[in-house]
Formats: sequence, structure tokens, C-alpha cells
Amino acid sequence: MTGFIIRRTLSMLVTFIVVSIVIFLMMHSIPGGPFDGNEMPLPDNIRDRLMAQLGLDQPLYVQYLRYMWGALHFDFGVPYQSPGETVMGLVAHAWVPSLVLGGSGIIIGAPIGILLGMAAALNRNSWIDYVASALATLGLTIPVFVTSTLLILVFAVWLHWLPASGWGEPKRWILPILAYAAVPLATYARYARSAMLDTLNKPFVTVLRAKGLSERRIIFQHVLRNSAIPMVTVFLPMFVGIATGSIFVEAMFRVPGLGAYFVSSIEKRDYPLEMALMLLISMLFCISYLLSDILYALLNPRIRVDGSRR
Amino acid sequence: MRLVEIEDLHVSFSQHDGLVQAVRGVSFGLDSGESLGIVGESGSGKSVTCAALLRLLREPPAKITAKTLSLSGHSVLGISNRAISTLRGRVAAMVFQDPMTSLDPVFTIGHQIAETILAHRKVTKREALAQAVELLRRVEIKNPGAVTNYYPHQLSGGMLQRAMIAMALSCEPDVLIADEPTTALDVTIQAQILQLIKDIQAETGMGLIMITHDLGVIAETVDRVVVMYGGKVMETGPVEAIFSAPLHPYTRALLNSVPGQTAGKQRLVEIAGSSPNPSHPPAGCPFHPRCPLAVAECRQTAPPLETKAAGRQAACIRVAAEMVAA
Repeated sequence: MTGFIIRRTLSMLVTFIVVSIVIFLMMHSIPGGPFDGNEMPLPDNIRDRLMAQLGLDQPLYVQYLRYMWGALHFDFGVPYQSPGETVMGLVAHAWVPSLVLGGSGIIIGAPIGILLGMAAALNRNSWIDYVASALATLGLTIPVFVTSTLLILVFAVWLHWLPASGWGEPKRWILPILAYAAVPLATYARYARSAMLDTLNKPFVTVLRAKGLSERRIIFQHVLRNSAIPMVTVFLPMFVGIATGSIFVEAMFRVPGLGAYFVSSIEKRDYPLEMALMLLISMLFCISYLLSDILYALLNPRIRVDGSRR
Repeated sequence: MRLVEIEDLHVSFSQHDGLVQAVRGVSFGLDSGESLGIVGESGSGKSVTCAALLRLLREPPAKITAKTLSLSGHSVLGISNRAISTLRGRVAAMVFQDPMTSLDPVFTIGHQIAETILAHRKVTKREALAQAVELLRRVEIKNPGAVTNYYPHQLSGGMLQRAMIAMALSCEPDVLIADEPTTALDVTIQAQILQLIKDIQAETGMGLIMITHDLGVIAETVDRVVVMYGGKVMETGPVEAIFSAPLHPYTRALLNSVPGQTAGKQRLVEIAGSSPNPSHPPAGCPFHPRCPLAVAECRQTAPPLETKAAGRQAACIRVAAEMVAA
């Protein structure tokens, strides 16, 4: 198992480096630069001096190596759009609302979704199954800005129970979290249902019944554990969505999160911030896949590759 | 009291395009220490009959009705899930066709045997695991202590089937039902597994029901045979009598189609026609469309299973006349 983890970690690092190079090249291949705005054009000599100051006159590989060297020391530079702080500082304060929003969304949505999917699978072709499947389909097909609008309309405009937008005190968190939870809930309901049905149809479930095990033990010990194997692969990568998936929800509820910076950093050619955000996402993806692989191996004895249990 | 008592069992499955009648009025029984073979081709209803006996079919779509359906005197009809699960594994245990898919891939062999014991007996987990080792030793697995820690994918098909037998024996059942236990195995392993089942039956005196389409397996392992076709019993009798002088035209056709009875190359004898469609079974005797002896009456009424000789029954109106002619 240790060898497996070391191998996976090394291959993850290689992936991460390749991804960072690709991102860096793509970022710079977009035409235009940070000082090419049309509303207040800068004289050429001033622009060149600014570019030189920021090191943007250097060849790309030098810029890349400089940036990555800095990144290794947790120095991601200064965002062009907010020169008063560092990229680290900006991400540190803007990420908190995104994490709270996405984290609570998943923590609320995933278990409800799994329970819904389980209930549907255990009562297949009954009204429970139909209601759960309909909810899951709605959750996935209705765009999050429509869900958000509906939530605001019902709970803020009609019922006056909750504020329509903003962040700050926790009661403002409720609506955006509900809006965010819809997608993981629906995704999990669908995955859980199909994974459970798949396992329930396996011959070994009949054997477990024929042995005289109680239905509860069959479901909770055997069927759940087997169904968890395919579900692990979607569960962890979904956490990465915390950093990216809440862009719409944040915009709808005016949450001061990280979401808006993804768009603005690309628009404004804010290279240090753009690169930092991309590295953050790639890193999260790499880690989540690594953890999924480890968890997968722990749950599934058939892929403990080094055969240490033999 | 008989170990198994089945009287007028009907099993049907409702499907979107109608009702599939898998078992249509089957009756037979099993006495303690007896071994019974159920033989028939695919779709004859032999596996469904035994699955119904342990209530292993999903209801609905399955619908089970019977005058009597009981295990060691306990009726299995109209009882709760909890009540049936106390009978399963303890009164009647089952060994299935494909050992590769019959075990949960994420638990060790030892765990899966031990949990069967724990489901029926008040013992500690440690004691159950110790019993699992003994059971594996009894089914002639070498190094049983190590095998308890193996996962199913680490064992061969033959080894897994031995482990399945060990699991079935773990609560000393009154009846062992083996549903095609050697079909998925190599020919060399098949004989070993059959011998093992025979030995254990002789040793414990439990009842045995062997479901198979392989007449060779029947000949080697059982005392009495039930021949099924189209969801009905065609013939029952002692194994030697059935093989030496089959009564029913279907049994005869079945025995004729066993390859290699005479020396030399020859074309494989087959039964003309195909098995009845269980959604629309033919009126009268299910075998009449393929039967060389069928007369008008065979097409109208299904003949009842009648005693034709001592200990022998057949469901055919042509048997008596035909036997005299022969």
C-alpha cells in the first residue's frame, strides 16, 4: 500500500507540472496584456516600463520559472487589479465564503442525495423511486441561476423569511447554500441509486439471503460497501467544485467569494492571480484523485495492486 | 415429517407483456437422508422451484402459490421476512451455480462463513472464525487458516465452490440444495466437487436436492430423480429404474440425446422442436408438440402424475400401452 501511495504521489506531481506549463502557455497565448485597456490608453513608453517592472518583457520560460520558484515559497505575486495586497492575501479572504458555501452545500446535499438514491433503489418502481428520480433530474437540469431566483422569490420576496442577498451573518448563508446543495444532491441521488441497483442485482446478494442474513445486514454491510466503490470516484473530485462551481451562486446572491475573480482575472490579464487560481484548482484535483485512488484501494481488495494482503 | 414437502406449486412472473408461468403444479417431497435429483433443460422450472422453496424470488414480480410448501414442517408461505431468514441457511442451505459471483468480493472468505454462523448461532466472532477454519478443512481446502483471510478473487473456481459448500454446511442444515453446482467448473474439478457433496451427505445424513441438466451428475449422486419439463413434473422414480427403463417419452428422448453411449462417430441425437414458451404454454401435455407418441387426447388435457409401477410415477397417458408394446 505504501509503495502504491508513493507511486501515485510521484505521478501526481508530474501531472501537476505538465498542467501548470499548459495553463501558463494558454494564459499568455490570449492576445492583449494587462495594460492594453481602451478607455485610458497608456503611452507606449510608460506601458513598456510597467511591463519591464513586472518582468513581462522576459521570455516566457523565464517568466514561468520565476513564477513557479515564487510559488514554491508561497509567493504568488501581487494581483494587478488590487495592488494593495498579495495574491495569497486576496485568495485567503475571498476563499472563505466560497468554502463555507460549497462545503456546506456538499455536506448537506451529498448525504440527502445518497439517502434519496438508496431509498429509490430499495423501493424501485414504487412512488418513492419515481419522486426521487424526478427530483434528481430536476436538480440536474434546472440551471442554478433559476433555482437561485426561485429561492429568492419564495423565501425573500414572498415570505420575507430570509434576506435576498449578501453575506455577513449566518442567516444570509441559508439561501445560497440551498441553491448550491441542489447539484450535489441530485448527482448523488442518481449515482447512489444506480450503484445500489447494480449491487442488488449481483448474484452474491441472493447468496447472502440464502444464508439467512437479515435484510438490514445485507443492505447496510454488503450492498452499501460494494456500492460505495463506484461512488468514491465521484465524491472527492466534487469537492474541487467548491472552488469553481459556485461562480453563479455567488453572483446571484452577491457573495464576496472567489468565483468572481476567475472571470475578472482572465478579463484583465491579471496573470499572477489567474495562475494562482488555476494552480489551486489543479492542485485540488490532483489531491482529490490521489485520495480517491487510495480510498478506492482500501474499499476494493481487488485493486490492492502490490498484493501485500496475499 | 418430510424435510421438504411441495404440493401443487405454481410460480409465475408478471412481466409488462403478460404472465410467465415458470412452474405449473409441481409436487414432490424429500425424506431425511434422501438425495433427490431434479433434471430438466433450461426453462423447465427446476431452479425456480427451489428458489421458491427458500422464497428467494422477488415478489412481485414473482407470485408463488401452493397447497403445501414446507421445510422440516415449517410452512414457508405467508411468513415474514424475519421468519424465513431463520430457516434459510439453518434448515435448508443452498449452493449456487457460479462460485465466482456468489461471494461478496469485498469481504474475506472467513468473514463470509463466520457471518453465516453468527446469523444463526449464539457464538462469539472468534469462535465463528475458528469454526470457519474447521469447515474449510472439512471441504478439503489445504491451509484453511490462510484461506480464511483470502478475498474471493484470490481463489480458483473449484476452491471457491468448496468454500461455498463449507458456508452452506456451516449451520448443519437439514437439507442441502445444490443448484447446478458443477456447471461453471472445469470437468476435472466437477468430479471432485460431486464426490465431496456425496461424502458429506453420507457423513451427515442430511437431505440433498441436486438440480442439474447433466444426466451424468444425476447418475452419480442421487437416489431418486424428478424429471421436469415445461414447468411440470414428467416422471419420478429411483435413479436406476429411470436410467434403465424410462417411462415418459420425454425422459426417453433425454436419455437418447446423451452423447457417447455407443462407440464410433455418429450424429448427436437431439429432441426435435424446442422447449415450450412459458408465456404461452401449449394446451394439454407440455411435451406433446415434440412427442413421437402424441395422440389427440394429449393435445387437450394435461395428464396427471400417476403411479405406474412401484415407486414410479409418470405424467403420460401413453405409458401403459406403450410399455406393453415394448
